[in-house]
This record gives sequence, C-alpha cells and structure tokens, in this order.
Amino acid sequence: MRLVFDQGTILLVDAESSAALADLPGALWDPRVRALRCPARFHQRLLTELGQRGVRFEDEVAGPADDLPALRPTDLRPYQEAALAAWALADRRGVTVLPTGSGKTRLAIAAITRLRVPALCLVPTRVLLDQWARAMRECAGFAPGLLGDGEHQVEAITVATFESGWRHMRQLGNRFQLLVVDEAHHFGTGLRDEALDMSIAPMRLGLTATPPAGQTAARLTELIGPTVYELRVDDLVGEFLAPFDSVVLHLDLTPAERAEYEGLMATFREVLRRFRAVDPGATWQEFARAAAKTDEGRRALAAWQRSRRLLAFPCAKRQMLANLLARHSDARVIVFTADNATAYAISREHLIMPLTCHIGRKERERALSLFKDGKLRALVSAQVLNEGLDVPDAEVGIVVAGSKGEREHVQRVGRVLRPRPGKRALVYELVVRATGEVQQARRRRNALAA
Amino acid sequence: MRLLPEAVIPARVDRGRILPAFLDERDQPWLHVLIDEVDRFRGRPLRELQQRLREPLPCATPHFKSRAAVRLLLRLGSAEITSEVSPAAAREKLFVEAAVQTDTPRGSIVAAAASALGLAPAALERALFADLPGERVFVGPESFPPPHELALRVNQLIARSLLFRASRVRIRAQGALRPVVRQAKLRGLICTVEDGDPPVLDLSGPYAVFRRTLLYGRALGELLPFLAWCARFELCATCMFRGQEAELHLQSSDPFFPASAPKPFDSKLEARFARDLKKAAPDWDLVREPEPVRAGGTIIFPDFLLRHRLDPSREFLVEVVGFWTPDYLQRKFSLLRAAKLDNLILCLDQERACADGDLPTGARVVHYRRRIDPTAVLRAAGHAL
Repeated sequence: MRLVFDQGTILLVDAESSAALADLPGALWDPRVRALRCPARFHQRLLTELGQRGVRFEDEVAGPADDLPALRPTDLRPYQEAALAAWALADRRGVTVLPTGSGKTRLAIAAITRLRVPALCLVPTRVLLDQWARAMRECAGFAPGLLGDGEHQVEAITVATFESGWRHMRQLGNRFQLLVVDEAHHFGTGLRDEALDMSIAPMRLGLTATPPAGQTAARLTELIGPTVYELRVDDLVGEFLAPFDSVVLHLDLTPAERAEYEGLMATFREVLRRFRAVDPGATWQEFARAAAKTDEGRRALAAWQRSRRLLAFPCAKRQMLANLLARHSDARVIVFTADNATAYAISREHLIMPLTCHIGRKERERALSLFKDGKLRALVSAQVLNEGLDVPDAEVGIVVAGSKGEREHVQRVGRVLRPRPGKRALVYELVVRATGEVQQARRRRNALAA
Repeated sequence: MRLLPEAVIPARVDRGRILPAFLDERDQPWLHVLIDEVDRFRGRPLRELQQRLREPLPCATPHFKSRAAVRLLLRLGSAEITSEVSPAAAREKLFVEAAVQTDTPRGSIVAAAASALGLAPAALERALFADLPGERVFVGPESFPPPHELALRVNQLIARSLLFRASRVRIRAQGALRPVVRQAKLRGLICTVEDGDPPVLDLSGPYAVFRRTLLYGRALGELLPFLAWCARFELCATCMFRGQEAELHLQSSDPFFPASAPKPFDSKLEARFARDLKKAAPDWDLVREPEPVRAGGTIIFPDFLLRHRLDPSREFLVEVVGFWTPDYLQRKFSLLRAAKLDNLILCLDQERACADGDLPTGARVVHYRRRIDPTAVLRAAGHAL
C-alpha cells in the first residue's frame, strides 16, 4: 500500500483490504476514486497507527524539500522561553495565549530557528505579511517566502495570509513540518479551517491574545492543539508591559443629535420588535436579510446605520478629541475609530495620519517609521491597528468608538503597552450616555479585566 | 470576476431548492433608467454616484436585482485619481508639518505645507484623500451595454456567485462536453462520468468527501461559460446558501450571457501535432474532439480522431496524456480491454511521467518529448492493422 498526497488529503492507494483500514483516524471511503482518503493533518497519526498494526506501506506523502536558509538564534524573554518550553512539552501542538505587544512573533521565530524544519506561518492580513517578513529578517537574519498581497514565492520558511493559505494549501500541504498560526482565534469557526486540515505539519503553534471559548475552542484544539501556556496583561504589566490607566469619558449628545438618534432608533426598534415577536431566536443576519426585502425594513436598517454613524463621531466626541489631542500634544497618540469615514474626518480636521486599508504598503511603512521617529505625532485608524501590527511606542490611546466588541478592545489597548522605563500609558474611551455604547464599554472593561 | 456577496445574491430557498431571481424582459425598464443614471455620473467622484444609487430610482426597482446590476455596472467602468500632487506626498508633507507646529492654527499649517509643495491651500485639501476609492473620479466604459445584454450579464454573475457556494456539481449534457471535463481536471476537480443518454458528469474536489467546503466553488463556477457551448445541459449543484444546504438547478435555456467560444486546442502541443500530421500524412483526416466513447461504464474523451480519407473504416482515436503513472495506465488499458476498444492510441509525455513501469503488452503507445511525432502515431496505428 502507498500513502499519496492528493490536494490536501492523503489517499491510501493499492490497499489489500480497504475495509480492514476503514477505522484509521480521519479515513473515509471515497467512492469517486475507490480508495480511502484522510485529511492531510492525520498524516502523523496514520503513520503511527499503520506501524502499530504491522501494515506494510510506502509513505510518498512528503513534498519536495526546499533548503533551509541560514538562521540566526533568537533570544527570548523568560516568559517567552517558558511558553516555548510548555509548547515543546505538549508534543509541539498547542496555542500560546500572550497579550498584545508581548512578542508573539518573536516566540514563533524562535520556534522556527530552534527546530530548523520547513515552516509555514499563516497571518490574518496583508499588512502582517510584511511585518512578519521584516521581523524574520531582523530577528533571525533570513528572508522568508511570501504568499499573498500579489506575492507567490514559496520557500522552506514561508509566510502566507489566511486567504492565500486557504487557497493554496492543496499544493503546499505536504511541504511543511511546522505550522504557525498567528491570531489563531480566527480559526475553529469553519471559515477557512480547511487550511489547517489540509496540511500534514505534525508541529503546530497557535498564537493569540484572545482565545475563543466553547465549540470554537474545541475545534481549535483539534486543528492546532490545546492552550499550552497563558498569560494576561496583568501578569506582564510592570516589567514587560507598561502599566496603564483607563479613563472612560461619558459624553452627551446635543439636543438635536439626541432627537435624531431617538427618532432613528424608534424606527429601527419597531421593525425589530415585530420581527422578534415572530422569530425570537433569529440572528442579526437573518433579521437584516428579512428586513431588506421590504421598504419598511430597509428604512429600519438605514435608520440603524445612520444611528451608528451619528454615535461614531458626534459633537461631544469631536470636542473631547480636540481637547485630548491638545492636552497630549507632546505624547505619541493613537486614535481608534469605528469606521474609515470617521478616521478620515479626524485626519482632515486634526491633521493626523490615517492608517486604513486604503493606505498602501509603502506609505504605511513610511508613516510608522515617521511615527517612531517622532515626526508624526498621532495616528488614526479604524481597524488596521487592531490586530497584530507592531506599532512603535505610543503613550496615549483614544478609543473614539469601536465596532467589533471586546476582543477588538483588548487588542487596541495592547497597542500602547510597549514598555519603557518610567512610562505609564493612558487609554481614553469616549462613550455617549444613554445609548448602547454604555453597555458596550462595560463589556469591554470586563474583558480587559478578565 | 468579482462575485456577489452571499447576502445580496437575488435568490431564495424554497424546500431545499435555490430559486435564483434571473432578470428578464420585465426588468428592462428599470435597467434602462439605471444605465442612464450611472452614465450621468461620468467625471464625478464615485462617492456621489454611490450615494445616488443608495436612493430609490424614479421607477419600481427590485432591490436585490438592482444591487447586483449596480455592482456589474460599476465594474464596467473605472475610477481615476485626479489631483495636482500625489495624495501620499500631500499627506506626508501636511501631517509632518502639523506635528512640528502643534500650536499653530490649522489654516496656517495647511498654507505652509501647500506653499512648500507649490500648491494653493485648496488644491492641497483636494489632493489629501483624492486616492480613496470614493473620491476617485468615475470613468465609465465607452458605452454601457444595452438593457437586455446587461440583464444577461447580471444573470451570469448571479449564477456564478451561487456556484461559488457549491461543493459538488452534477451535469447532464450533450455535445462539447470535453472542454468541461478538461477544464475541471485542470482545476484539480475529480470528475467521474456516469454512462447514460446524455452522460452525467459528477464534479467535486478531493477534500469535499469530508465536509461541505467552499474551496472548489470558484473552480466549479468557472466551468459555467464552457457549458454554454454544450448543445444542451442541465446542472444540479449542492450549495451552502444562507446557512443551509440547498440545490441549485441551471439549464441551457436559462438566460445567460454567452461566453466566448472555447479555444480550438487546449495546448500548443496539440495544435502543433494537428499541423504536423496534416503535412506528414495528407491521406489522413484529423477530427478535433470527436464524440466521447463509452467504455465499461465510463466515458473516454479522445483528443483526435484519425480517419483514412480513402478507407474511412481505418479509424483511430488519439489521446494525449500529459501526466501519468503505471497504475493509471494499467487501469486505463484494462478499461479499454473490457470495452473491446482496440483503436485508441495513447501519447505519453516522457518528461512528465512520475514513475517508470511496464506498459501492458499490445498497448498502442507513442512516447513523446515536447512534440508528438505524427509518423510515430501512424506507425502505432499501422502496426495494429
């Protein structure tokens, strides 16, 4: 019998008796090719199982081997060493949970340089693709292959966006021994899980600051491994992360804004109430889909969107932001908004650099470098700075509004926690009274305290 | 082609079946109005056009169909950056200036940065975000398609967007089936053919045996244009649509935009072989893509039929096999034996063979390297006569 890699799966070809092997881990009979087939991630378990059963087979799964580049050893902080040791003890399959800014990328690079095996790193965005490549050059002295953002260069150590990894794992799934999954909480929901299922890599390292719970966590354990090491912001504040103060500023809408907000919400709530009466368990997507079918429903959705836009940057937030920027004119400040439109409005009004998905790679790198050198005093962003992007030292964060809940907030706060002797970071949250924002802010603070 | 997001595809699910809302002649009045409206916004920022299209048109317009049509119309045009200075340069100059002069009023900072760039302050303000998608100026195509053609194009987009959500497709088709099979295999799909009248193609990806996956949706959707060249087809796709598994049925009578004709040859190799044979053997006719041949419960798609002009009973099928293993050939030959098909000549690429192995005795095989020698093919044919 032969084990053959077939587009992200393993085929058991020429088996004497497929029926006797049908209980192998992950194996299913594929009537289309009349052979047993497993997802590639079961490769190692298949080898063990077949060995134990005394089945004679040839393993033809491994793909072409690229030469590893020269790797420079990477030094780690004590807690990073501990995380790596915990991962090694768990058979090199597992997720490490470390706060934003604590050096997860460096941890992964150290894993690669110490193991010296072909490795594929999956990262969520194109922005992070550049950042990982740069970190690898700086920390370990090699340039990785890149997959995504118009690049298609596969090397023994390659960095790929989630999307490219998902699309190309069929061809690449048998070329890597180690799979590093940055921001691993994005997996486990079904979306793009195939990327992890179609790789034979027996060693898997997940990185996240915000691990998922429930079914997603269980699925993540199957695909990557269990949580093997976990530290929270509080564990590192002081020595490895800057201490910080969080200030929530409660603001009022103007009478005209309040009247408009209440009017919009009344329009929206009435349609939602009637929909909920018929289908109490429906999701937001189901409601939005049903509402879009009628004029009244579309008016309700439009009203809801306008109410969100209104809360994103009303007069009081505008005024408060101006005050805060004036008060911290000597500090490096990052402003977080709910949407790009607000980021551009703030950028134009206060003459600060926006970092959004529309700002290209070269300009983004240039802006971060100017910010690092103190030539730009502030950055404003909706989502680009939320996750993973290594932002130079900043002392003040101003959350004008959020759109993605608690996980987003934890990541945002992490952006100003890069440590420096004597530094104490400050995070402001602007919250409009008597709106949904109050509850959102409470949930965000709870998540941060957890 | 950028497809429609699931939420805006004009289709509904009824008892496990996806019912696409294809556009027809009843949609032409509002399509006409929509095209005129979009045309009116040439030379204006895309943001203004998008804002206008969010408002209702002056005639009854089906919501989801019109959103699909809008997406297509916007894609037919392009958007250009029109500013006196590069927006990135304008931003860097202005924001760096602002970081230095923290206590200076905004107007003075803008004036200073504008002057350094040799611009008026208003021109700098205009340039600042002129590269954002909404600020770019809408440039339409030379002319928009007429409403009936736009409707067909939108239907094509709807069908492909639905097929993007497919994990498996079954096609019952007559005529010109070979390009479909060929394209499916090129895209890494597993293609099984069930004998029948007409035959049924079953297409899915290797991983699809484990779970419903959207991995192959793009590849499955890309086959649709090739189907348009079958004389008749019925397609049944298993899709994940709006949180449930449902079946999509399409057929040749559905109103799609006709795709361009498939290329006469799949590769230069085949085109060259046809040319060389014509020169080397003027007595033989070469028929491109002959009818598929039934063989033991499946179907074989030869690339060529070779027929002697003076003696049409001397007829051979030629199949070019680019990538092969001994196993594959053994299976193929046993299939041919079972079907008593002894006039098939296989041309095997020596360079791309992934393993050596003994070929079955009596097999009609021609090895080639970069070029198929027509005399070797004729020898293989003559040898068996």
